[in-house]
Amino acid sequence: MSGNREMVAPLLEISRLSVVLDKRHQRFKAVDDLSFRVFPGEILGLVGESGAGKSMTGSAILGLIEPPLSISSGEITFDGVRIDQDASSIRGSKISMIFQDPLVSLNPLRKIGDQLVEVIRTHINISKAEAFGRAKTLLAEVGIDPGRINAYPHTFSGGMRQRVVIALALAPEPALIIADEPTTALDVSVQAQILDLLKRLCRERGTSIILITHDMGVIAETTDRVAVLYAGRLAEIGKTSAVLKNPRHPYTKGLVAATPRIDANSFEKRLFQIPGAMPDLENIPKGCAFHPRCDFASTQCQKQQPPLFEDRSACWLSNEGSETS
Amino acid sequence: MSYVVARELTKYFDLSDPWVVRKITGRKKQILTAVDGVSFSIKKGETYALVGESGSGKSTIAQMVSGLLRPSMGSVLIDGHDFHNNNIDGSSLRNMRQRIQMVFQSPYASLNPRWKVGDIILEPIRSFQLIADRQEQQKRVAELLDQVGLSPRDINKYPHEFSGGQRQRISIARALASQPEIIICDEPTSALDVSVQAQVLNLLKELQHEFLLTYLFISHDLAVISTMANTIGVLKNGQLVEEARGPVLLKNPRHDYTKMLLSSAPDIGSIKT
Repeated sequence: MSGNREMVAPLLEISRLSVVLDKRHQRFKAVDDLSFRVFPGEILGLVGESGAGKSMTGSAILGLIEPPLSISSGEITFDGVRIDQDASSIRGSKISMIFQDPLVSLNPLRKIGDQLVEVIRTHINISKAEAFGRAKTLLAEVGIDPGRINAYPHTFSGGMRQRVVIALALAPEPALIIADEPTTALDVSVQAQILDLLKRLCRERGTSIILITHDMGVIAETTDRVAVLYAGRLAEIGKTSAVLKNPRHPYTKGLVAATPRIDANSFEKRLFQIPGAMPDLENIPKGCAFHPRCDFASTQCQKQQPPLFEDRSACWLSNEGSETS
Repeated sequence: MSYVVARELTKYFDLSDPWVVRKITGRKKQILTAVDGVSFSIKKGETYALVGESGSGKSTIAQMVSGLLRPSMGSVLIDGHDFHNNNIDGSSLRNMRQRIQMVFQSPYASLNPRWKVGDIILEPIRSFQLIADRQEQQKRVAELLDQVGLSPRDINKYPHEFSGGQRQRISIARALASQPEIIICDEPTSALDVSVQAQVLNLLKELQHEFLLTYLFISHDLAVISTMANTIGVLKNGQLVEEARGPVLLKNPRHDYTKMLLSSAPDIGSIKT
């Protein structure tokens, strides 16, 4: 793509990753031949509807895939090291994770300070007192009064709890944070604060973030680049502004047009509808997985799975378009 | 012509400990004011949207307007009749209930998993004794399924055989079954994916035009609300802080809280470059 990208080595490289589900002597592909890279200090969005394989990709990176699911092929390289077979060396230390529901990710019976100290001391070899000091700094960094270090999770509001979870994720000083729907359970005003916090951390610490979400608005306002997933496959990837303003894949086009906008004219307009729904794992159509819902599908689309053209869009039509232009 | 009028709606919830516990511990009574003097009116065939964050009292208002919850103070007038009047007789109450239906947030929780789709949709028809004849009943259910974009063949299926969007269509068919004039939609699409959300929102708009339905639309999502609402009311801590016609409110928000909501809501229209 752009010239400077080639100069910088990617922090994370996923290459031709497939995750399969074994069920009654049959194999279904939950993630199918997925490739993308994450560069240092960038926020990459993974967007798609439920069942697109977003969270599965996140789990695969952290080596959290368990039977009946397994990685059947492909490589995941983090900082030059293969991690697809054994991710235990980086899980929670170099790469950490933020989950959707902050209530479930925190232990309700332990003070937040103790939980932070445990995470810090698991990954960094320092004394308890030092870890305590570090925990206080972390809380200050995510916008929580360090004086509350001995408080229990239930005494915090939803947004504050998610800040604690982010502090936990930051504790081992990871190079990459995977945030899986981090603001879906929160109110809009709190959501904006949490997203700003993530952006700030990314800028100040140079941490890369993979932001998994279904919300196109969050993608538009937070991410540098975005990967659109459909039925376990990469439909389109590119700079967020380019993908959302000039989507090339018909699915991305449909998704952008179907997303309601906060606009005085929205009331007059009819939302674009993509007919049908995403296929489930066991019934993914042949060829391009999107072709039964696509207005432009040709016979080629029904037969052959399209590759990613120009590092951007996995659609036969985007190939034709670029040849003629 | 206002069709639905809410006057000074107020709802208190008593969250106090039991009397004995209060006497022993010396704690005071705790009263939560969930909704505090909210007044609005909806014209026939229009959509009034209430927007607010969690705990703002949106759903409590929806329940009071639908008759599921009695207001502590204030009243709801539907076509001039007071819903919560103590003197209202049984038959007129039934008549009013038939005119107001609800579509709930979760299509997974709001449909009985043990009932067939046909029975789910038939329940309001039976309950209000609208159609006596069995065959006519089946015909009406098939017609309703067709109106919401499902196939009449789905009549004997169970809810689990449908996707989230299709389930929400079943909920809408059930709401339409009693031929209501008002439908209260409480976060009808927040459990759905974007492409399915668009289908359901479009369907709600089409049905509104076809049957001249009046909607009270509850949502936390300003983008959804701007596509649906003629008038928008902004709720904060149980109080209506601002109300205006949709485009006016979106262009010129007056209250600081509305401005804050508008600036913090993620919007695909505001792509950074």
